[in-house]
Amino acid sequence: MHSQRFLFLVAVPGLFAQTPHKVDFARQVHPILSDACFACHGPDDAQRKANLRLDTREGALKVIKPGDAAASRLYQRVSHAKKALRMPPPVSPVTLTDAQVDTLKRWINEGAEWKTHWSYAPPKRPAAPEVKLKNWPKNDIDRFVLARLEKEGLAPSPEAEKATLLRRVSLDLTGLPPDPAELEAFLKDKSPDAYEKVVDRLLASPHYGERMAMPWLDLARYADTHGYHIDSHRVMWPWRDWVIGAYNKNLPFDQFTIWQLAGDLLPDATVEQKLASGFNRNHMINYEGGAIPEEYLAEYVVDRVEATSTTWLAATMGCARCHDHKYDPIKQKEFYQFFAFFNTVDEKGLDGRYGNADPFLPLPSPEQKREQDELKQAIEAREKVLDEKETGRRQEEWERDWQNRIPEPVGGGLLAWYELDGNTSDVSGHFHHARVRRGDLTYSNGPTGRAAEFDGETLVEFAPLDASKPFSLAFQFRSSRKEGQVILGNEGFRVAVDNTIVLPRLKRGQKLAVYYGGRVWRTREVLVNGDTHHVTIARGGDGFKLWVEGKPAELETSEGAVSGRADGPLVTGNRDWPMAWKGRLDDLRIYARQLAPAEAGQVAVHYPMERLAGITAKRTKEQNERLRDYFLLNVIPDPYRQAYTELKQLKAKQEALDNSITTVMVMKEAAKPRETHVLARGDYQQPREKVEPGIPAAWPPLPSGAPRNRLTLARWLVDPEHPLTSRVAVNRYWQMYFGTGLVKTTEDFGSQGEQPSHPELLDWLATEFVRTGWDIKAMQRLLVTSATYRQSSRVTPALHERDPENRLLARGPRFRIQAEMVRDNALAASGLLNGAIGGPSVLPYQPAGIWEEIAYGDVFTSQTYVQDHGDKLYRRGMYTFWKRTAPPATLNTFDAPDREKCTARRPVTNTPLQALALLNDPTFIEASRALAQRVLTGLPKASADAHIRRAFLLATARVPNRQEMQVLRTTLKRQMETYSRDGEGAKKLVAIGESPADSNLDVKKLAAWTNLCSVILNLDETVTKE
Amino acid sequence: MNPFDELGLAITRRHFFGLGRLGIGGAALASLMAETVERDPKTHGLTGLPHFPAKAKRVILLHQSGGPSQLDLFDYKPQLTKRQGTELPDSIRMGQRITGMTSGQSSLPVASSRFQFTQCGQAGTWCSQLLPYTSKVLDEITVIKTVHTEAINHDPAITFFQSGSQQPGRPSMGAWVSYGLGSENENLPAFVVLVSQQHSLNVDQPLFSRLWGPGFLPSSYQGVKFRSGGDPVLFLSDPAGIEKDTRRQMLDAVNKLNQIKREAYGDPEIDARISQYEMAYRMQTSVPELMDLSKEPDSTFEMYGPEVRKRGSYAANCLLARRLAERGVRFIQLYHRGWDQHNDLPRDLALQCRGTDQPTAALIQDLKQRGLLEDTLVVWGGEFGRTVYCQGKLTEANYGRDHHPRNFCMWLAGGGTKRGFTLGETDDFSYNITQDPVHVHDLQATILHCLGIDHKRLTYKFQGRHFRLTDVHGELVKPILA
Repeated sequence: MHSQRFLFLVAVPGLFAQTPHKVDFARQVHPILSDACFACHGPDDAQRKANLRLDTREGALKVIKPGDAAASRLYQRVSHAKKALRMPPPVSPVTLTDAQVDTLKRWINEGAEWKTHWSYAPPKRPAAPEVKLKNWPKNDIDRFVLARLEKEGLAPSPEAEKATLLRRVSLDLTGLPPDPAELEAFLKDKSPDAYEKVVDRLLASPHYGERMAMPWLDLARYADTHGYHIDSHRVMWPWRDWVIGAYNKNLPFDQFTIWQLAGDLLPDATVEQKLASGFNRNHMINYEGGAIPEEYLAEYVVDRVEATSTTWLAATMGCARCHDHKYDPIKQKEFYQFFAFFNTVDEKGLDGRYGNADPFLPLPSPEQKREQDELKQAIEAREKVLDEKETGRRQEEWERDWQNRIPEPVGGGLLAWYELDGNTSDVSGHFHHARVRRGDLTYSNGPTGRAAEFDGETLVEFAPLDASKPFSLAFQFRSSRKEGQVILGNEGFRVAVDNTIVLPRLKRGQKLAVYYGGRVWRTREVLVNGDTHHVTIARGGDGFKLWVEGKPAELETSEGAVSGRADGPLVTGNRDWPMAWKGRLDDLRIYARQLAPAEAGQVAVHYPMERLAGITAKRTKEQNERLRDYFLLNVIPDPYRQAYTELKQLKAKQEALDNSITTVMVMKEAAKPRETHVLARGDYQQPREKVEPGIPAAWPPLPSGAPRNRLTLARWLVDPEHPLTSRVAVNRYWQMYFGTGLVKTTEDFGSQGEQPSHPELLDWLATEFVRTGWDIKAMQRLLVTSATYRQSSRVTPALHERDPENRLLARGPRFRIQAEMVRDNALAASGLLNGAIGGPSVLPYQPAGIWEEIAYGDVFTSQTYVQDHGDKLYRRGMYTFWKRTAPPATLNTFDAPDREKCTARRPVTNTPLQALALLNDPTFIEASRALAQRVLTGLPKASADAHIRRAFLLATARVPNRQEMQVLRTTLKRQMETYSRDGEGAKKLVAIGESPADSNLDVKKLAAWTNLCSVILNLDETVTKE
Repeated sequence: MNPFDELGLAITRRHFFGLGRLGIGGAALASLMAETVERDPKTHGLTGLPHFPAKAKRVILLHQSGGPSQLDLFDYKPQLTKRQGTELPDSIRMGQRITGMTSGQSSLPVASSRFQFTQCGQAGTWCSQLLPYTSKVLDEITVIKTVHTEAINHDPAITFFQSGSQQPGRPSMGAWVSYGLGSENENLPAFVVLVSQQHSLNVDQPLFSRLWGPGFLPSSYQGVKFRSGGDPVLFLSDPAGIEKDTRRQMLDAVNKLNQIKREAYGDPEIDARISQYEMAYRMQTSVPELMDLSKEPDSTFEMYGPEVRKRGSYAANCLLARRLAERGVRFIQLYHRGWDQHNDLPRDLALQCRGTDQPTAALIQDLKQRGLLEDTLVVWGGEFGRTVYCQGKLTEANYGRDHHPRNFCMWLAGGGTKRGFTLGETDDFSYNITQDPVHVHDLQATILHCLGIDHKRLTYKFQGRHFRLTDVHGELVKPILA
């Protein structure tokens, strides 16, 4: 009694025409066996109970006596009087209804006929059936549909009204409503092929590609961030734009498939083909600190297997990750053989910190490409001048007698000097030796000799400094925290690095700041990062000057938090500031005078380098590079010096250019591909038997002799004889137009999936798709020009009662349009829509804080929502920046997925949050106001009724009837009254949105019309494809 | 031969009888296309649920994100002072994996807790000095010292705790509950999420909307996040310039026009649209009423502490949780971040406790004095615990701890659980469980059990599998049930 009653298997007698015929194994029996029995008596060898399997005829015959249900153990057990002995057992989530038990009984008594599961055999093209209503069908689709309706004793609905049909097909093929001119032209066109002309126009529209891309982006789990923990940004929009373009160019589905799965492996692959392979780089990528790379490498590959098998095979391969599949003939080992195809990518387990993760493909514009070539040539020319032998010889010479030329270190006024080369003594001769007050000081190899390392615990006290008088400080440092922290200072004077800032070009950096006397002097530019830097600070009479690597830095000053006495000992590692310094400190000098600019350079650059030249035995690579750089820049004569100076400039330019070039993540085989092992329980820590790429034995074999790689796999998928690919594809197209696929479980054609409602039609469409050379546009044309599609979606109570989901197709489709189109339709009606196609994703209006409330903070990108302005506010919904951990709020409210995983089917829900969004999201309020402006200014001399009709038409493609007009008129009148009293309210209302309100219109009138238009944009019909 | 056998036609009429009562979460009308199960017309819960009489009508889950240190809060290990600074014995670690943050450390020295522990209440439950308020309500509480998880880093661990799977894609616990049980309040969502906003110091790990996501359930079952700034529910307020009666007029017009369409076109989905607009309108009253604390007595504010007046604080969210519970919201999920003490644990954990201890205890007290604790299950805890060995440098005064999935402490109160009880034992290092392990799936099964749900029978078929929150695992933790 308390068990859950799933109804998907229940026979409800009497609802449909009942012709007493034999029980059909595939449609009636197999689903029962699969759902109720296979979990313990199915394909999984390891879990099989009682050594009984019911997924094969041979196995089932052990418990079935064909023709005699009463003598069959199967029937005895499912109908057992004792609950404890009845199958399935009480622990199973499934219980059988009496009707199901009866079906099994009849089937056995009728001889227990057995058939292979429908989707495992290739589709055979059936002949279109004969029908009675001969003049109804417009193409063969209709004959299949009509034959079924006639069998059920139903008649098709009449064709939808022209306007309804135009809106339906426009939304379906472009995602946008028809504009009034298109509507008028169609209504006027009385030619017999007026509709077909419209379809051809729509198929040729560049918006067709956008519309087709929308469901594909769900399958591909396309997003603008990496997902998982950090969820910083990535750049995959060039791939998204490729998809749009491929649909517009009508790339045949077989090529569309091969390019996306293995474009990189095609002989002489073009940039476009490589770009297309980004399909399987759209999965999430992790960068959580502490995560274990091997774990995520496995997850990425599993995700590719799942997305690929769902998209092309409607197979639930993921179920075989941990054990043999419970319902379908997929062994765990076979899962890992399939996995092996995708386990060869040259990638890292943790990646994506600064945008795209390896491997990625640069996509320079022709202009950038030219610039790249020029720079490359210029660089080669300079490198030629800088003959390595000659410059090396000269450097050696210089190093050999460095002692003869070493300048006196900047001396005058030197108060203390800590070389920090392994101790804390003061080498200035003043005996201000520093003391370690807390923790230990360790030393590492610094850029010049050894350097002190502070671990966030150590506290060191240096010489006292009176910061109220002129002085200078010079030192090298490297910060090991991303947060801001104080390097050194005393109570009233501190030198600090600020919080890390994420820069464009995917880099991070920090500013330097000096705090003193209630003020702060901060570098205008971000000058330091995680490397070692030299800084010189000099205080004169009028504040501070600062040099980084000997170069003067621009400072800005503002109020600061530090004041108090500034004459105590300098300290590094004070925990109260508020964290103890974590990082490196080296070569600290304190002068009791203000250094001159030339001296700052000398201290920062020349002296350390000359000193470095003295170290010959154990220089690090970094030290060698710094030394060579110094020598070529400062010591060697022209033309070498000039060539090197230019070379540095050119390389900086090259780097800037390379960083500005858009990239996209793609598939690319690793030079040394990883081995694939079966993972016990799906756990990366438990590798077992090694496997090679392959496909499950239940599917047709790969061509013998072909290399076992993704390209072979992709070609295998689009083999004309493949049992699944074409069926899966056409079924999804069907779902797009009719709301439900011929197979409702678009994502699962396996044993547990639903049986097709019109199996012959599905096979006919699948074979037709292949026959036309996988012509995607032709298939869309075929579907939308069918009489089935063109039916009115009006429904009588009787028909609704009989077929609520419209699976028999005795009427046209009617359902709420998908999230992106809800937005697009309102923007299009209002005239605000920016119809630009492609490009980087945009950040339209969104209530403040949606990202920030759950994000990590500004150490990474895409943690703070910075709204766009202008044109970008009115782009189509599909271009909204998709952050996986906080998906676009309003789209999400209308069932858009978070794109963490492959999605083949969106739910269509109806919630109060949707009502609130349509009523109050500024996007829709602004659209209401713009729609009001559009009709009021577009027809300046027309009557209010005409304006109402126009607004209604723009939103729904029809004019309101008399009854509706009355409601709208009354509403307008009331709104007019309201705002005639409330001028302030009117002003506020029309000010919503960044597009300016039309100042030629009376504000009160505009406000009233805004609300009227809001009513129209909120109608069920407006957000519904009818 | 009839594919319609599978399509659940019989439910249609029942759907429409319930239309006036639709809500979000439990009661939201997932489109007619999406659902093939029978639902109670009142709560819109699944027919047949609860499976047995429920002890708890609702759950408040106080998720302490980051991984609170069991060693410094509830799992008292006095023996560790003697071992301070010594290497974690191999016999204890037993080769278990550790995170990428400490796997490179040359030494794993034992760090004993710096904090004093006392036995509290009549039950004598051990509790550290960091939780002075909680220690006063421990007689209402069952502490489980032996919860364990499979994940070792935040993202998979918190996803595992909330959805029963380390990898994204499964429904969250609250979504399962609202799918199964529906709503008791037709003006509020069945599943509400509150994320406390960062306080002074411990800015921490991110959260993800999947944690309250619907997974493969219809999206109407996802948690509705009540936000800490602006509209508590997205787009709840009418825009500037639209007064309440103007809005009413507009809604009347929308409904009338929809009604005309309904009559002409016959699609019952339009009825659903009409009722959702009405529910939206009711929410515009019920949510502000919920958020309005002006009628709370002073004693409430005193009890929850000074932070309670700051919207979005943990304290304010605890109070809001009580108000949601009073109104029959089924699943109330709080998130509080900042428990990830890899370093500077003594300072930061103390701060973290100072910000949460009083409001947490106040919530228990408050529910009790209102008679709500009896049928409200409160659950406190994070996604994993912390290691006995020090991360970074161990000094006399300072230490840090890395993630530890092998055992950690959680507590439960009310809703049919025992009062003043402690379950489970760990070894001297709080590194391994020696008695009464409680896997996350066990805990999930037990939470569902308190709600009257057999975790093995609340399933949803997706991609051919009958999925459930506890996957194919989960044993009821009977010893903690009253």
